[in-house]
Amino acid sequence: MNSLLGGIFLGWSLGANDAANVFGSAVSSRMLKFWTAAILAAAFVLVGALVAGRSGIETLQGLTQFTANQAIIASVAAACTVTLMTLLGLPVSTSQAVVGAILGVGLLNRQLNFAGLEKVVVCWVGTPVGGLVLGIIVYKLLAAIANSMNLNIFQSDILLRLCLIVAGSYGAFALGANNVANVTAVFVGAGMLNLSAATLIGGLSIGLGILTFSRGVMETVGKKLVKLDPFSALVVVLAHAVTVHIYALIGVPVSTSQAVIGAVLGVGIIKGVNTIKRKTLLHIFLAWFLTPFVASLFALFLDFATHLRYIPSH
Amino acid sequence: MFKFLFRKEQQVQELISKYLDNLRSTQEHFEKAMDCYFDFGLGENCDFLIEQTHKFESRADDFRNEIIEMMYSKVLIPESRGDILRLLESIDLIPTHFETVLFMIQGQKLKVPDFITPDLRELMRVSLECCELVMRQVEAYFKKTEDIKPLVSTIDKHESRCDHIEREIVRKIFASDVEPFEKMQLKELVVQMGEISDQADRVSRSVYIINIKRRV
Repeated sequence: MNSLLGGIFLGWSLGANDAANVFGSAVSSRMLKFWTAAILAAAFVLVGALVAGRSGIETLQGLTQFTANQAIIASVAAACTVTLMTLLGLPVSTSQAVVGAILGVGLLNRQLNFAGLEKVVVCWVGTPVGGLVLGIIVYKLLAAIANSMNLNIFQSDILLRLCLIVAGSYGAFALGANNVANVTAVFVGAGMLNLSAATLIGGLSIGLGILTFSRGVMETVGKKLVKLDPFSALVVVLAHAVTVHIYALIGVPVSTSQAVIGAVLGVGIIKGVNTIKRKTLLHIFLAWFLTPFVASLFALFLDFATHLRYIPSH
Repeated sequence: MFKFLFRKEQQVQELISKYLDNLRSTQEHFEKAMDCYFDFGLGENCDFLIEQTHKFESRADDFRNEIIEMMYSKVLIPESRGDILRLLESIDLIPTHFETVLFMIQGQKLKVPDFITPDLRELMRVSLECCELVMRQVEAYFKKTEDIKPLVSTIDKHESRCDHIEREIVRKIFASDVEPFEKMQLKELVVQMGEISDQADRVSRSVYIINIKRRV
């Protein structure tokens, strides 16, 4: 169990950070109580992990061969990368950190599945692009539906709140399905866990992060989404959830934050406004290249450090 | 099916309806008080009707406070909450103007010269028509009973007509032999009466903007 702690910690921090993308707008605008949102998010993350989390785990474990020791190194390297990038103020993707760490281990093994890696990298590029395209499609679709319904302010508010709850729950489901691989795939690769146990432990650790430490992030990060307007916030939550779910079905863990940023950009295109600053975009691109690179370095360094032997001098 | 989940929203909706009904009663009493004043001048009857108008205006404040209190107990999304509260504040200025006109007449014991009485009656009639249309527009916005756009332009036309009457009365006052001090008093009364339709027009525009804002 102790050897799984690195992965559980990674899952916990992932839950604490990424829950803001699904329920942040509803909680920070006080449309939904934190505990209602947290319980819904934790429950749907677990369901998502158990129902649709397997294919992501299979993709990541297929990237290289693991020993138990290397699995721990990979998860600790990913966790260190996430911490470092967060300290540097760069928008970090846990998925990229995990894949970077796996690559580091793969380099040591001199065994990398390049076909699998290619699929992962293509999906990374596709995440913000998918978010953007779906943001535009979802906006147009929902706007057409909303405008065709002759609702008064009370009815449309009630509908908006219900939709945010449903979209948030779906987003949590997609988060669990897509990101559970980040937490436990390396342990499956090392033969320490079977697929069912991996999805259960991964889902539970993400859920734990949501329940214990997501409040602050939900209230601060969520406000950025609310700044758009409630309808656009709903579009962003739904578009990012669909994007992440699609990648869960493909079997590649991606960054939910990048899907959100893509969707926000899509809404901005429709409304003809700049929803994201150029500096933020620059940071995203920087983090995109830096995260896997830094995680690989961490993995290499940790592996090197664990092989050091003290030889007393005579 | 999910009505029990949104009981507070229903209560706010009911309170807004009551608030608008109360506004109608305030307007009715204002109209009666003004008619009484034009027909018989200040007296017991007129004082009673002014008191009644004041009571309804105070009750409107109570309704508004009740709505605000309920809105802050997490009813509606913050943006809608802000829109509705600003709209109610704006509507609330209409009965305040009714009250100000009546208190001005009562407190300053104003005597309206005969040569402007028909114009003042006309100004009051058009202003109150403006208010009625605004209440219809507000109700239409909350209940989606009719399109509010045509009402905006009708209210705007009424408001322009009021401005025209207002200017005409002021011109007549200053062209008359009335004492200069009385001229200033009468002018203030006319301007205050003109404020009713101006405020109704402001409310009408607010409703229109709030409605447009919510279209996606």
